[in-house]
Amino acid sequence: MARIVIDPVTRIEGHLRIEVEVEGNKVNDAWSSGTMFRGIEKILRGRDPREAWIWAQRICGVCTTVHALASVRAVEDALGIEVPENATLIRNIIAGTQNVQDHIIHFYHLHALDWVDVTLALKADPAKTSQIAQSISDWPKSSTTYFKAVQDRVKALVSSGQLSLFSSGDWGHPAYKLPPEVNLLAVAHYIEALEVQREFIRVQAVLGGKNPHPQTFLVGGMATSMDGNEPDAVINPERITLLNQLVKNAQTFVQQVYVPDVMAIAGFYKEWFEIGVGIGNYMSYGDFPTTNIHDPAGFMVPRGIILGRDLANVHPVDPGQIAEYVTHSWYTYEEGDQAGKPPAQGETSPKYTGPRPPYEFLNTDEKYSWVKSPRYSGMAMEVGPLARTLVAYASGKQQVKAAVDGALAQLKLPATALFSTMGRIAARALEAQILVGQLSEWVAKLDDNMAHGDLKVHNGDKWNPDSWPKSCQGFGLEEAPRGSLGHWVEIEDKKIVNYQAVVPSTWNAGPRDGKGQRGAYESALQGTPIADPNRPLEVLRTVHSFDPCLACAVHVVQADGTAYGRKALVL
Amino acid sequence: MSQSAPSQIRLLGLGNLMRTDDAVGMLTARMLTDSGRLPSTIEVIEGGTLGLDLLGQLDGTSHLLVLDAVDFGAAPGTQKSFQGDELARLPTSKSVHLLGLSDLVNAMLLMGAPPMEIILLGVQPESTDWGTALTPAVEAAQSGLIEAALEQIKRWTKEISSATTETVPVLAIP
Repeated sequence: MARIVIDPVTRIEGHLRIEVEVEGNKVNDAWSSGTMFRGIEKILRGRDPREAWIWAQRICGVCTTVHALASVRAVEDALGIEVPENATLIRNIIAGTQNVQDHIIHFYHLHALDWVDVTLALKADPAKTSQIAQSISDWPKSSTTYFKAVQDRVKALVSSGQLSLFSSGDWGHPAYKLPPEVNLLAVAHYIEALEVQREFIRVQAVLGGKNPHPQTFLVGGMATSMDGNEPDAVINPERITLLNQLVKNAQTFVQQVYVPDVMAIAGFYKEWFEIGVGIGNYMSYGDFPTTNIHDPAGFMVPRGIILGRDLANVHPVDPGQIAEYVTHSWYTYEEGDQAGKPPAQGETSPKYTGPRPPYEFLNTDEKYSWVKSPRYSGMAMEVGPLARTLVAYASGKQQVKAAVDGALAQLKLPATALFSTMGRIAARALEAQILVGQLSEWVAKLDDNMAHGDLKVHNGDKWNPDSWPKSCQGFGLEEAPRGSLGHWVEIEDKKIVNYQAVVPSTWNAGPRDGKGQRGAYESALQGTPIADPNRPLEVLRTVHSFDPCLACAVHVVQADGTAYGRKALVL
Repeated sequence: MSQSAPSQIRLLGLGNLMRTDDAVGMLTARMLTDSGRLPSTIEVIEGGTLGLDLLGQLDGTSHLLVLDAVDFGAAPGTQKSFQGDELARLPTSKSVHLLGLSDLVNAMLLMGAPPMEIILLGVQPESTDWGTALTPAVEAAQSGLIEAALEQIKRWTKEISSATTETVPVLAIP
């Protein structure tokens, strides 16, 4: 039995280590380890809860806005503040844009190269690529000349001896199955997506003042002025036109490029609809309120839990059932390390007991990760676009049902195919398509409110700390691009006394709990085929299908191109 | 990306402000802005640790002067200039959100941007551990880095202005 270590897992956010045990060309067992400590909870203690979001969103430089939103929701919940409808709409547009943009980046820039062999794209006949492109989509950039030009640019890069962006792929690996022409199509769209994501995120700059880390969140609403007659207002008719244009361009790309590409690539990798199945429990907190945050029935993305892959039953979510375990994580609890603690009473007491670097393997019988193990009612859960899609599908949401059934019919697959590595990828694409369509409706509603003189974006009734109770607690739930996100806050004498964030990748990347139940990555890796133990591309496919995000990092340029420590990061 | 953009010199400071000497590029870029010695046409970008997010800000650059910590095995505070192939040998990215400088430039070329002239002024760090202050050797190197940056910008400005005037066909027939 061989043990393979992947550290760091590349093309993700943050630092992740995966160890797998391989027997007979299959993964027999797996361990997921977050190799970096996140201490933002400790930084927030003693601070004014109204500024918590500014700090909290610095948890990550990628899903920046999501922690700001979860944070203001938590503080508003604790203080009993209702936000105006316009603030809800603006937040939905910001969060929805973040989701869609993140999904595009994930598919093309973080995940596609697990399926697309760039070196094969150089061997493609651009005329045939053009035929394929025109057969699957109306996207105008599809001529032979266009694909030839892309191929030439990639050739120039490769012949310079620098694979650069494409250097972390396992080129020539036997698990790559796309014909050269489809590889070229995907590489062309990889490059186009660089431009698309850059343009689309301007929505954040318009509504948030800047990107990353928008600056217009506010406990009680948004600091985004709205006035149809005021050219200097953040939201005015001119800006509505710009938002509509940005959304429309992104929508065209998602419909005509992203979704057709995912369907085309999935068609060549149908066996991956049976690999990477995982826990089979799926959770969604639900999000995108159409009324207010206390009315999950009005959420565009529904709330619910699916247990044991049973799509006939959607169970309710009771946030009181969430607890975090540290039996296998480098933390201690006052009550002992077997205890589960609800985030509201959460504790962040780091205690590293792992091996001193350099080391070969982690001692996975003991503690082996900086990520805690959250559980719902004692059960491990998978969160993310697949979980949301399954909950919506099983809840009978028409739009989701139609999109999923259409995709399954096109691929001639049953609904059970969704419980898989490729299922996660397909669900993410379909979610992006639905969400980007919804964005224009929220913009239209905002425009309508403005036209009718409803300009309220903030509720300042409880802005003054003298109006707050002596002590209170609250939580803010959200569906971030990678899944269910929750912030818990406890306020006493106008200051934060405790703060906990349970992020999507805590659910998915967490280690085993005290009962030995595996986390979502660990579970999904069981049975993964391995063609070449020296190049475990198949492991990366399943891990990447979750869109891992483990916070941000150190960097230094090193002149000889070798790794600095184990983190060869530049910039 | 626009093909016909006029010459635009940009100065890009890179680094993590919480990682001791790693911040030298960022901090020196700020000092240059505050010094008032930069021509107003030069745009300064505090790049921090942003990767892909810098694509938009670099659009239209013809000459890019980068300030950053570079580990080239010299004594702490040593300054060295990198260009051309030397830049290509710098490490590549592990993630698009932590794009290496050469990756960022390659991404722009793949997107069809015209090639730009890039010079990286690097300083050898002593420490990249947690900390918000530079080590003494690297702090002392900042004034030299500023002079080198101003010198390079002066050289480029001169090149650009002479290139512009030379567009008038004055070539003598041999």
